Amino acid sequence: MSTRKTISRFVAIGGICTAVALAATGCGAGGPASAGSAASNTVNVLVEAGGHAELTGVAEQCKKETGVTANFVELPYDGMFNRLSSEFSSGNVSFDVAALDSVWLPSFKDAVQPIDELFTDEAKKDIFPALVKEANVDGHFIGMPAWTNAEIILYRKDLFEDPKNKADFKAKYGYELAAPTTWKQYQDISAFFTKDGMYGTDVKGAVETEWLAHVLQAGSPMVLDADGKVIVDNAAHKEALDFYTSLVKSAPSGAAQVDWAAAQNLFNQGKTAMTRFWAHAYRQIPKDSPVAGKVGAAPMIGGSAGVAGVPGPWYLSVPKATKNTEAAKKFVKCAYDYNSMGIESSLGLAARISAFEKYQDKPGYESFKPLIETLSGKATQTRPATAKWQQIVDTVLIPTLQKAVAGGDSAALLADAKKQIEALLK
Amino acid sequence: MRVAERTRPDAGKAAAVIAESSVPSTTHDGRRKRRGVNREGLEAGRRSTRTLLWVLLAAAMVLYGFPFLYLLFTSFKTPIDTIAVPPTVLPKEWTLENYANALGRSGVVASFINSIQTAVISTLLSLVLAIPAAYGITRYKTPSGRVFIMAALVTRMVPPVAIGIPLASMMASVGLADTPIALSIAHTTISLPLSIWLMSSFFEAVPRDLEEAATVDGCSRLGALWRVVIPVVSGGIAVTAIFAFLASWNEFLFALLMTAIRSQTTPVVIANFQTQFGLDWGSMTALAAVYSIPVILLTLLLQRKIVAGMTLGAVKG
Repeated sequence: MSTRKTISRFVAIGGICTAVALAATGCGAGGPASAGSAASNTVNVLVEAGGHAELTGVAEQCKKETGVTANFVELPYDGMFNRLSSEFSSGNVSFDVAALDSVWLPSFKDAVQPIDELFTDEAKKDIFPALVKEANVDGHFIGMPAWTNAEIILYRKDLFEDPKNKADFKAKYGYELAAPTTWKQYQDISAFFTKDGMYGTDVKGAVETEWLAHVLQAGSPMVLDADGKVIVDNAAHKEALDFYTSLVKSAPSGAAQVDWAAAQNLFNQGKTAMTRFWAHAYRQIPKDSPVAGKVGAAPMIGGSAGVAGVPGPWYLSVPKATKNTEAAKKFVKCAYDYNSMGIESSLGLAARISAFEKYQDKPGYESFKPLIETLSGKATQTRPATAKWQQIVDTVLIPTLQKAVAGGDSAALLADAKKQIEALLK
Repeated sequence: MRVAERTRPDAGKAAAVIAESSVPSTTHDGRRKRRGVNREGLEAGRRSTRTLLWVLLAAAMVLYGFPFLYLLFTSFKTPIDTIAVPPTVLPKEWTLENYANALGRSGVVASFINSIQTAVISTLLSLVLAIPAAYGITRYKTPSGRVFIMAALVTRMVPPVAIGIPLASMMASVGLADTPIALSIAHTTISLPLSIWLMSSFFEAVPRDLEEAATVDGCSRLGALWRVVIPVVSGGIAVTAIFAFLASWNEFLFALLMTAIRSQTTPVVIANFQTQFGLDWGSMTALAAVYSIPVILLTLLLQRKIVAGMTLGAVKG
C-alpha cells in the first residue's frame, strides 16, 4: 500500500514537473529571443566565452545609437569550431554575427558575407596592417577585427632593478641588465636568473605560436611561403627552433607539456623571471600574486629581421544564412566605431591602433606600448591562410616542438615535419 | 591402545595428544572443542576478510571521492591559491568569492532552470518509453523483441557527435531550435537504450505467478502491470530514473551543439570559464560544486529505492 502511495506521489510530482517543464519549453529560461529569426532589430552574437565582456560595452552603445539589441551566445573555445561548422553546413544559423578566431577565417570564408563597405580608407589606416591583410580573403573583407593580441615580454621589474642583480649581471655579461630586446640578451638573462629554485624563463612545448614568432624574427614566413610551398625546414625555422630549445636549461622541467596556462601560472607564482606571453596577461595578474605590482612589459624580442609577433585577433563576421543582415552589419560597424570600449573590460583589448593609443599612457595599461610596437613590427605576420592550419598545428607542429624541447635533432625533426605537412596539404 | 603401550613407552601420551587434536572423537567434549576451534578459525577468517574489504572500500572511496573533494576545496581558494605550483589540497585562506563570482554571472540561474527542465523531461520520456518496451520484450519474448533490444543498443555504438549535428539541424528545421524539449529529445537517445535494458532485467526478476494471481483476482493485463508489477519494480524504476536524469544532467556535447540563448544548460556555462585567454579555476569549481548538489540530494533521497532496485535481480530464481 505504501509503495503504491509512493508511486502515486512520484507520478503526481512527475506530472506537475512535466506540466511546468512543457509550459516553459516554449521559451527556455534563457529568454525569449528567437534564434535565427526573421529581420528585426535584435541580433544574436556568437562569441567565445572570453570575448563576451569585450563586446558588452559596444552592445550598450549600439543600442543607444542604432536601436540594435545584441543577445550574446557564449560558447567555450573548444566547442565553438564544431558549433560553427555544424550550423554553417546545415545552412540554418542561430546567430546573426559570429566572433571568429583568425585561424578559422579560411575555413568559413564561403559561409560569411563580404563586409567591404565597412573597410573604408580611414578604417584600414587605423587597423594593424597584418590584420587588414588577414581579413581580406579572396579579394573581399569578411571579418572586422574586434580585438587583437600578441606576445610581448613580461618581466620581473623588482629583480631587474635590484642593485646587486644589476652589478652581478654586468660583471658576468658585460652590459646593463634591462628588458631584453634580442635573442642573445634573452638567453643571457634567462641563464642569469636560473638559480636558487628560480628560473629565467619558461619554454612552452605544448603551443607553437611562440616558436613561430621567432621564425618571423629570423626573417621567414611561417611554415608556408606566399605560394603555399612548405618551408618549415628552412634555415630560419631551424635557427628559431635552436634558439627556442637553447632556453630549456633555463626553464622549469617538463617543457614539452608546458602550455599557456602553465606558463602564466609559473610567472604569476614568481617561479620565472621573464615570460613571452600574450599582452592581456599583464592586466590579469591576480592581486594576491607575489608578483603583483612588480611586473614590467616590453616589446617582443627581435631577431635578424627585427621585432615580430604572431597576432591573435578575433573577427566579427556576418553569416550568409542570417535573415538579419542589416542589423548584423550595424552591430559590426558599432563594434568598430566603439572599439575602445573593449579596453575597459576584464580582457582589456581592442583592435584599432587609435584605441590602444588612447590608453597607452594611462596607469595600468603599460603593456599597450609594447603591444603596439610588436603588432606594428615589419616582420609581424598572421598565420598562413589555409583551412588545414589547425590540423597542421595539432598533428605536426606541436609534436615536432615537443620532440625538439625533449632533445630531438632539430634538422631531422623539421625535415620530417615538412613531409607530414606536404602530405596533409595534398 | 594396548598394543601401542606395549611397543612404545610414550605411546599412550602420544595417542592421547593425537586423539585430542586430530583423530575424530566420539565424545561430546571433543566435538564441542573441535567446533570451538573451527568457529574461532571461521571468525578470524571473517574478521580478516571484513578488514580487507573495509580497506578496499576505503581505498575506492578515496579514489573516487578525492577528485570531488579537491574540486570542493578549490572552490574555496583565492585566485593565486588555485594555481599554486605545486598544488595544495586545502585552501590557505578560505573565501566565498568564487561562489559570488560564479552565481553572479549572467545566465547562470537561467542555465540551472534549463538543466532541470531538460533532465526532468528527458527522464520522463525515457521512463514512459522504456517501461512498456521493456515489459513487452520480457513478457512476450518474441524474436522481433530480441532484435529490438539489440537494435536499441545501436545508438550507444555511434559517436554522439555523429547524431548531434544532424539532430541539431533537424530540430532547427521543425522550429525547435534552442529549446529544452529539443535537447531533452536528444538526451533521450542516450538514456533510452540503457533504460530499456535496465527495466528489462528488473521485469525479468518479477515472477509471472504474481501477474497470474492478479489476473485470477480479476485484473486485466494492464491492471496487473500497474497494480502489481510496477510497485514490485519501483526500486528498479528509481534506479533507471536516476541514470536517465544523470545522463541528461551531465551531458555536454548535445547541449553545446543545440542550445544558444534560451536553453543553454549549466555544463556549457561551466565550460565557459575556460577561455582562450585563461581559466578561472575558482569560479569554475564553485559552479561545478553547486551543480552537483541536486544530484547528491536526489541520490540520497532515493537511496533506499536504489539499493532495493540494485538487489532486485539478485533474488531471481
